[in-house]
Amino acid sequence: MEDKQQYLKLLTEIIKKQAVILGPDIALLKARSIAGLKVSDSCSVEDISGDPKELIQKLVNAYVELSGQIVKSALSSIFEKYPGINKVV
Amino acid sequence: MSNLIIIIIIAGLAIIGGLVFYGRSLMLLRIMENKEKETGRKMYELAILKELGDRIGYSLDVHEIIDIITGSLRQFIEYSAVSYMLIQPEKIIFKVQLEKSVNRQFLNDIRDRMIGSLSALLDKELSKSAVEEVLSGAILSEDDNQPVRSFFNIPLVIGDKVVGVLTVSDTKSGLYKEEEMTILYKITQQASKAVSKLEEVVRMEQRKLNSMVESMADGIVMTDNDYRVFVANPAVKSLLGLNEKAEVTIFDFIDRLGGKFDIRSKLEESVKLSKIVEAPEVLLGERFFEIVVSPVRSSMALTSGEVLGGVVIFHDITREKELEKLREDFTSMMVHELRSPLDGINKIADLVISEKTPKEEEKLVREYMPIIYKSSADMLRLVSNLLDAAKVDSGKYQIFKEPAADIRKLVAERVRSYEPSAKAKQIKILPVIGADVPQNMSFDPNALVGVFNNFVFNAIKFTGEGGEINIQAFLHKSGADVLDEARSNDINWFIKAVGESFVGLPTSLVVAITDNGVGISQENLPFLFNKFRQFKTAALTADKKGTGLGLVIAKGIVEAHGGVVGADSDEGRGSTFYFTLPI
Repeated sequence: MEDKQQYLKLLTEIIKKQAVILGPDIALLKARSIAGLKVSDSCSVEDISGDPKELIQKLVNAYVELSGQIVKSALSSIFEKYPGINKVV
Repeated sequence: MSNLIIIIIIAGLAIIGGLVFYGRSLMLLRIMENKEKETGRKMYELAILKELGDRIGYSLDVHEIIDIITGSLRQFIEYSAVSYMLIQPEKIIFKVQLEKSVNRQFLNDIRDRMIGSLSALLDKELSKSAVEEVLSGAILSEDDNQPVRSFFNIPLVIGDKVVGVLTVSDTKSGLYKEEEMTILYKITQQASKAVSKLEEVVRMEQRKLNSMVESMADGIVMTDNDYRVFVANPAVKSLLGLNEKAEVTIFDFIDRLGGKFDIRSKLEESVKLSKIVEAPEVLLGERFFEIVVSPVRSSMALTSGEVLGGVVIFHDITREKELEKLREDFTSMMVHELRSPLDGINKIADLVISEKTPKEEEKLVREYMPIIYKSSADMLRLVSNLLDAAKVDSGKYQIFKEPAADIRKLVAERVRSYEPSAKAKQIKILPVIGADVPQNMSFDPNALVGVFNNFVFNAIKFTGEGGEINIQAFLHKSGADVLDEARSNDINWFIKAVGESFVGLPTSLVVAITDNGVGISQENLPFLFNKFRQFKTAALTADKKGTGLGLVIAKGIVEAHGGVVGADSDEGRGSTFYFTLPI
């Protein structure tokens, strides 16, 4: 349960950072295109279904596909805050 | 009744059929509209990618590339403002194209969001104060108080470096669809990839050029038209004390050059007027530099002749300046040396002419003739030395070799001739000739007398009473170690290491004259055989016997024989002067 909360927080931080980088509209659109993520209008991840690691990977991939590797690099400071969760490749 | 039912059924079927047909037509229309939109987007994407492809072929200017994207955006997407921010070394350029009037708050809001985007991308806070705004298109209107309701940012990345961000914004909410935004991201990414690739090619070429520039002794700085430094070689960094800085800016150069050379103004003058600007003599620290500023022009076909920036070359002229000074000193001292005896002769001649009686004339001639003789002899020796030194300089010093000259005989004669001078100072002269030195050799004995005289008289001059001078000769065999050979022949000398002059030395006679006199300081050793230095030193010493050109002439005589000369010393213990004669 505690783990799930960690994932929700991490996913929320990713989307919120991308909302700052890319703008909230496109950040939300891309997050909501990932099956298994339930995201509020304020970019908070409210619930997840499926493998959380896979969800993180898919979410990061969606942003990378849109605007390149640089957005992934910008996420490294977020991943550092969650050492218990393996960093996505 | 049954007819009515049939009619109702037919009518119902017709209505259903009509509705189905209408529904299908509507669906088809929507499909057609979507297809049309998609085709439009594709056409836009292709057109803009082609234009970018053409442009990137000959320009790597990010401004230009972004301007192409933003310039054609209105055909494809609705917006109030399209803007981009580019990170420069000393500022952040914020360029906005307004399609509709908006107020200042709208603009500030966009600026803050873009700064926020860049800060998040770079993981560091960027300051708003560094932002330089450039506005174009519609005017700002404070009557319009619509906020930003729709926007999206596209990071601008070249290589793996964030260079800026592009933002499309509008006052309407929910305006941008995913497909439209995605196309813009795709176009920007493709442009970024193309620029990155081309920049990598340019970087490779630049690395080649840099390695050449880096190995140059002259200091080189190259800037673009905005004075951004893109080449600063180690020589220029070293001379201005910028070695520790990985990236230097024009401000570093302005700071370090102080008021001595206004690099920015000179670059501006050179680039704007497209001409070479020169500063012939600038003193930086303890060294003199000739500084040349030149515009850099493109040699590419499409942009041929276009000024791309400027190059500043720092050429160290300290040595030339020193030589020039020595030449000036040499000339003035030479004139002085000639004038003194001439003046003496002139005055005595005047005295002789002014005296009328024959008796007095005879007395004057007896008294003054030796002085005239001495003065004219000094002048003659000076002029002869100068002429010999000039022949050495021009490589025209002529020697007349005898095929069977005897070095033992020559040394014995010389020792006899030096004995009176040596005895006066109680100096011993000890000749040592190696047993394997050939009896007959080919050299010019008269010319070699000059070399011996110079080396030995100098030795006598700089050796104290009761001292010792060794005149030694031994045979060097090609490929053997000269130091070992000297040891096995019991040669007394101050030669500590085999210098350049002994590298590849053929089989030769080595003659070494060693004294235990005052010696020579290490700083003066390199200048012993320099014409200007020697003349200056001789002229400045209290004992002005000779011009100091003897060593220069000796070197010329030995070199005319195909040999080498050299010297080494332990200051306070003595010196060795040597020369070689190939056999």
